[in-house]
Amino acid sequence: MLIIQKGSSRQSQGPGVTRTVGVDVPSAAHAGVSSSMPRNAQPNLTDRPTVMDAVRQGLTFEPMVHPALQNLDPIVQTREFQLSYGPSKALHSITMNIPRNHVTALIGPSGCGKSTLLRSINRLNDLVDGVSTKGEILLNGEPVYAPDVDVIDLRKRIGMVFQKSNPFPMSIFENVVYPLRIDGERRKSVLMEACERSLRWAALWDEVKDRLKESALGLSGGQQQRLCIARAIAAEPEVLLMDEPCSALDPLATLKIEELIHDIASRYTVIIVTHNMQQASRVSDYTAFMYLGRLVEFSPTDVIFQNPSLPETEQYVTGRFG
Amino acid sequence: MSAIPANPSTPAASARPRRVTPLSARGEPVVWITGMAMVVCTLMIISLLTLTFVMGSITFWPRPIDHVTLNTGETLLGIPVREEAYNAGAEDAAAMAVLREQGKLDESMFDSEDRPIRRLYRVGNREIYGEPFKWIPLFSIAERRSEPRAVLLERLDWGVWVGIPEAVVLQEEVLLPAGVPIAAEGTTEAGLRFEQKPLGESAEGGQRVARRTYLAEGDAAWRKFAEVHTQARATASRVTSMRKHDVGDVNYRLEAARLEFRNAELELARAQSGRYESIGYAGWLAFAVLGVAGVGGGLGSSVLRQRSVRKGRGDRMSLRMVGAVAWCVGIAALLGAWLERPWAAPSMTPERLVEVRIEYERRSAELNTEYESILARIRAIDAEDAAMRLVVREATSNRFAPIRQTQAEEPLRVSQVVLGFEANSLSFWGKVGIYVERWREFLLDEPRDTNTAGGIFPVIFGTVALTILLSIVVVPLGVIAALYMREYARQGLVISIVRIAVNNLAGVPSIVYGVFGLGFFCYFVGEFVDTGPKAANVVNRGAWWIGVLALVVAGVSAAWLGLFARPVPGVLASSRQRTMGWAAALLWIGAAGGAVWLVLSTPYFTGLYEASLPNSVFRSRGLLWSALTLALLTLPVVIVATEEAIAAVPRTMREGSYGCGASKWQTIRRIVLPRAMPGIMTGMILAMARGAGEVAPLMLVGVVKLAPELPVDGHFPFVHLERSFMHLGFHIYDVGFQSPDSEAARPLVWTTTLVLVIVVLMLNLSAIRLRSRLRRRFVGGAF
Repeated sequence: MLIIQKGSSRQSQGPGVTRTVGVDVPSAAHAGVSSSMPRNAQPNLTDRPTVMDAVRQGLTFEPMVHPALQNLDPIVQTREFQLSYGPSKALHSITMNIPRNHVTALIGPSGCGKSTLLRSINRLNDLVDGVSTKGEILLNGEPVYAPDVDVIDLRKRIGMVFQKSNPFPMSIFENVVYPLRIDGERRKSVLMEACERSLRWAALWDEVKDRLKESALGLSGGQQQRLCIARAIAAEPEVLLMDEPCSALDPLATLKIEELIHDIASRYTVIIVTHNMQQASRVSDYTAFMYLGRLVEFSPTDVIFQNPSLPETEQYVTGRFG
Repeated sequence: MSAIPANPSTPAASARPRRVTPLSARGEPVVWITGMAMVVCTLMIISLLTLTFVMGSITFWPRPIDHVTLNTGETLLGIPVREEAYNAGAEDAAAMAVLREQGKLDESMFDSEDRPIRRLYRVGNREIYGEPFKWIPLFSIAERRSEPRAVLLERLDWGVWVGIPEAVVLQEEVLLPAGVPIAAEGTTEAGLRFEQKPLGESAEGGQRVARRTYLAEGDAAWRKFAEVHTQARATASRVTSMRKHDVGDVNYRLEAARLEFRNAELELARAQSGRYESIGYAGWLAFAVLGVAGVGGGLGSSVLRQRSVRKGRGDRMSLRMVGAVAWCVGIAALLGAWLERPWAAPSMTPERLVEVRIEYERRSAELNTEYESILARIRAIDAEDAAMRLVVREATSNRFAPIRQTQAEEPLRVSQVVLGFEANSLSFWGKVGIYVERWREFLLDEPRDTNTAGGIFPVIFGTVALTILLSIVVVPLGVIAALYMREYARQGLVISIVRIAVNNLAGVPSIVYGVFGLGFFCYFVGEFVDTGPKAANVVNRGAWWIGVLALVVAGVSAAWLGLFARPVPGVLASSRQRTMGWAAALLWIGAAGGAVWLVLSTPYFTGLYEASLPNSVFRSRGLLWSALTLALLTLPVVIVATEEAIAAVPRTMREGSYGCGASKWQTIRRIVLPRAMPGIMTGMILAMARGAGEVAPLMLVGVVKLAPELPVDGHFPFVHLERSFMHLGFHIYDVGFQSPDSEAARPLVWTTTLVLVIVVLMLNLSAIRLRSRLRRRFVGGAF
C-alpha cells in the first residue's frame, strides 16, 4: 500500500498502533545531511513505530515512500511480498514499485534481505529448500509467483549479475551467447551479432575481440564481471538485476562498471543491490533502504542521502550503524 | 632451537616458567617419517615393476646349448637353466664316494655347506626322456662343451627338441612300372641320394614304392632347412586357416540350416498345441482402432496444447493428462495389434514341414559335398606339405624327432617346426632376431600345447574386449545414477540409505559377485533369453492383456498423483499433497513390479534360441555376463567418483546458468557434466583398472582355459557375446598352476604378467590423457 506521509494523520495507519515512543530527532552531524525539508512537510515522527518496535513487538511497520515514485511507470511491483526460509521470516510484507528505465539501488546493512528480495524477482529462491512466499510480485503487470508461470521463460526475461563473477568454462563467445543458445538460437550470424552488441555495451569488445575463442577463465576479475554483464544483457532482458557486482573488484574496475551501468540505464531497468553507499549515490536514480527484512524508505537518491525522512535511514546513511 | 629469552624487565618474565618447544610440536620428525613411508611405497612399486619387467623380458632370449658327457658315458644336449644345492641321497653319496677315491671331485661342485650342486638342463625330447627337464649333479659331469651344430626346435606340439640336424629329406610315394626291380638305394638325376622300400601293388598293376630322397645332409642340412622352412610354414598355416575358416564356415552354415529346420518343427508344435490361435480379424480390429485412437488423441492433445499456448492461455494441465493417457493406451494397443496380427499366425502345417525338411536335406547334402571338396583340397596340400621332412638326431639315444608319437621311425615334417635355430652359432643380431620373432609369436599367435607354448593373442584380445565392454556398461549407468542421486533426488533419509548401500557394495568380495552373476545372469536371465518364460509362469493372453491395462492405469495414476502432489514453488507441501505423494510412490513400485511380472509371464516371447536346445546359447557362461558382473562390481567406484565430481561444481556456476534462463537439464548438460568430466574419467579409470584385474568372478562366469574361437569373427552379428573367452589374469593362474609342464611354464608366467601390466597401463594411460585434456578444457583452474 502506498502511504502519503506528508501531513497524514495517525488515524489512517491501521489499528492498534497508538503507542508513543521517544524518537531521536536527527541532527545534522554528518556533512552530507541537511535538514532542508520544510517544516510543514516533515512527517509526524513522534508516534510512528520504528523498525525496532516492529521487530520487538510485532507491529506493522509502514515504509516511507516518496511521492515522486507514485506516478512513475513501474516495471516490477511487489505487493505485500513475504518470504520465509523455513520458520524464519526473511522479508516482511514488502510493497514497492520499481520504476522503468531507471537505476534503483537497494541498500541496507548485512542480512536486511536486499539480496533475498532481488533473487525473489527472478525466482532464484526456488532453488533453495524450504522457502515459502506470500504476496505477489508483478513483472510488467503479470504475476511472477502464480502456479502456472513458466519459470524458465521468466528468467529469460530477467538478467542477473552476481557478486562473484561466474564465467562458464567455455570460450568468451560461448559465454556471451549462452542465453541465446539455450533458447534454441543456432544461426551463427545472429549469435555473432548479439555477441558483438553485448560486448560493446559491456565495454569489453575492444579488449577481447581478437580472442573470442579463448577460454573465459583467462580474463582478469574485472573483465570477467563485465563478461557476466554482457552475458546478462545478451538476450535483451526487460530487467537487469545486479547483486553487489563490484564488491569483489578493485576501484578501477568498479569505476568502469559504474560507467557501464550509467550507459545501459537508458535501455534497461537496473536494480542494483549494494552495501557501498557512495556507489549507490553515484549510480542510482532511486534508492530503497531496507532494514531487518523490512522496507524502510524508498526515495530518489538525492533525497535519501541528503534529506532522509526517517531516523533509521539517516542513521544508516550517515554511517552510525552499518 | 632455544626459547627466545623473555625480556627480564617485564614483570611477567620472572613469573612465567621457561619453556622449550617440545619435540612433539616440532614438525621435523614428521617430515622424516612421512618421507620414509613414501620411499617404502615407491620402492615396493618400483621393485614389483622391475621384477616383472626383468623376469618377463629374459624369457625369450635364446640361450646356448651344452653338450654334456656324463661319467657313465651318456651324452645329452640341453640348455642350462639354473643351479641349486641339494641334499644328496644314498645313491648320490655312493657315487660321490667312488669319485672322491678317483680324485675327480672338485670344490666348485659343492656349495659352502658342502652340499653337492646340481644343474637343471632343458633337454626337451619329451618322447624319449618323459620329462623335458633334467637335474644333473655337477659331480657326474665328465665333460661339457659347446656343440656348434646343436639346434633347438620349437615344435608344433610336444614341446622342444634339442639335437643335431642330420638331413633334409623328401618322403614321397612313387609309382614304378611293374616288373622293374626295386633297388634299396640309388641316385636321382640331380645327383641326390635316395633310399626306397616297396609298399605293394597299385590298382593299375604298377608297384608302389616309398622313396626317401636326401636333399641335403650333414653340415649342409641346416642351410637347406632354413631355405625351405618359410615356405613350409606358409603352407601349413594355409592348411590351418582352411580348416579353421573354410571348414568352420561350412559348419556354421550347416548349423544355421539345422536351426532353421528345427525352428520349423517348433512352429508346427506350437501351432498344433492350440495355444497360439489367432484372435481373428474382429479382435485385431479392436486393438488397431484403439491404437490409432490413442495415438490420434495424443497427437491431437499436443496440437491443442500448442494452440492454447499461442493464444496466450498457457499450457493446459488437463490436456496434458488426457494426452498422456491417450499415448499410453495407444502405444499399448498398437503393440497388441502387432503381436496379434492375424496374417502372421503360425501357419506351419505337416505338409509344409515336409517341404522344409526336404529343403534342409538338400542343403545339407550340398554343404556336405562342399565340405568334402574342401577336405580333399586340404588333404592334397597337406600331402604336399608332408613330403618335406627334417631328420634331427638327439644325443643320448640317437633317435630322431618323429612326426608323431606313434610313428617313431618317420622323421618330423619341416612345417612342424615353428622356430628352429642353431643356439651356439648365433651372432648377437641373430639372437636379437630370434628374440623379436618369439615376442611376435607370443603377442600375435594362438596358444599351443595346452597353453605352455605359443602365443597369447586370444588372451589379450579377450581381456581388452572384456574391459571395453565393461566400461561401456558401467560408465553410462554409473554417471546417470549418480546424476539422479546428486541433482534430482531430494537429499533425505531414503537417498542417504541408497548411498550407504552403494558404498558398501564396494566391500563385497568379488567371488560373491561371481556367484551372483552365475545365478542371476547366466541361469535366470540367460534362460529367459534362450527359451523365454518358464512354462509354469506363462499366463493366457487375455489375462496378460488385462495385466497390461492394469499397468497402464497404475502408471498413469501414479503420474497424475505425482503431479498433483508437487507443491507450488514458494509454498510448503500440505498434508494432502504428502499423502498423494506417498500414494504415487506406492503405485510406481507396484507398476514396476507389475511390469517385471508381465515380462516374465508373457505368452508372446518364446526365447531367441529355442531351436538350439539342448545346447544353451546365453544360458551358459560368456563374455556378456562376465562384463555385466564386473560392471556391477565396479559400479560403486564410478558412482562415488561421479557424485564427488558433480558436487564439486561450484554453486555460483549453476546459479549463473539458471539466471540466464536455462532449465535444470540444460544446466546439467552444458555446465555441470562438462565440468565434472575429469572426475568421471577418474572413476572410469579406476573401474577399468579394477575390472581388468579381477579374476575370481570371471572363473565362474565366463573365462575358459582355451577358447576355440574369438568373440569377434566374420559371421553376423560379428560380435558374439555368448562365447566364452580367455583372460590374462586367469591365464597366469592357469599357466602357472594348472599346466603339466611347470618348469617350462614358469618363465611364461612372468611374461604373461608383464603383458598384463602393460595392457592395464596402456588402458589407464589413454584414459588419463583423455582426462587431462578434458581438465584443461573445462576446468581452467585447479580441479
